[in-house]
Amino acid sequence: MRLQQIADKLGLEKLTPVFDQDIDGVYISDMISDVIANAKPGNLLVTVQVHANAVAAANLVDVCAIVLAQGKRPSDDVLRMAEKAKITVLSTPLNRWQVASKLYEVGLR
Amino acid sequence: MREAPSPRYQLVDSVPGFVVVERAAPSNQSRCYFCAEATAPKEAYREGDQEWHFEEAAQSFQFSVRDNATGEVARFHELLGLLYYACLEPGSKLHRIGEVAHSVGISIYIAITYDSPDGTPCEVAPSKLEWLNRAFNDRIRTPGKKILILPDLFGIQEQVSSGQIMLDFSLTTMA
Repeated sequence: MRLQQIADKLGLEKLTPVFDQDIDGVYISDMISDVIANAKPGNLLVTVQVHANAVAAANLVDVCAIVLAQGKRPSDDVLRMAEKAKITVLSTPLNRWQVASKLYEVGLR
Repeated sequence: MREAPSPRYQLVDSVPGFVVVERAAPSNQSRCYFCAEATAPKEAYREGDQEWHFEEAAQSFQFSVRDNATGEVARFHELLGLLYYACLEPGSKLHRIGEVAHSVGISIYIAITYDSPDGTPCEVAPSKLEWLNRAFNDRIRTPGKKILILPDLFGIQEQVSSGQIMLDFSLTTMA
């Protein structure tokens, strides 16, 4: 499933341009070292972490997009960093459980 | 869903734990180490004429890299974290180098290590650094993208605090 489709279906707010690509699974974590150890390339990362380290970790493991739950928004510096690394950042007022449920409903496993 | 090809170099044997920062009295020297216990120890202890006091802890992990072709495993017990160039001060030498590298698809990270008992940073052997680079690059699927993990030849470790380096620091300090 393409990232743009997911963003549209879940009504996610686009905080950066959408670098559209296939999404291969979802990883949910607020712990950066856990993301580095266990997230997979092509994953969608669902988190509430808005620190620059979240982008650094996502870039390191080639996560393709970050979905910020609970309406979290990073600083402009962090968004610029993500855009430069071609990592899409999306936001939603939903909590992580609700995001996970909706991602499952649209067919992501 | 596409089946990802098996990488030759793979992160394995992930051990969860804590990065513990401690400070000595009366020297005020600071150092950090990895602790794989269930909770980070907070008791002060004596070492020679210094008394070491717990200062901060952050969740982290240690891992090994396995060469799936030979079965060899290298443990990265000396690695504290990887510092992304873009998190450094804009205009600094490394940030400027990182920007040039980034323009051709290379993301630079600096391998920051734990301190040895005398307080000096440990070193990551060049051969292990090569494995680390391969492990992260082997699993990248974005065409043209590369990760370049460099040793700390720039003295970054002396310029930034442990808090900046520890990847989960901002999360745990919110607790």
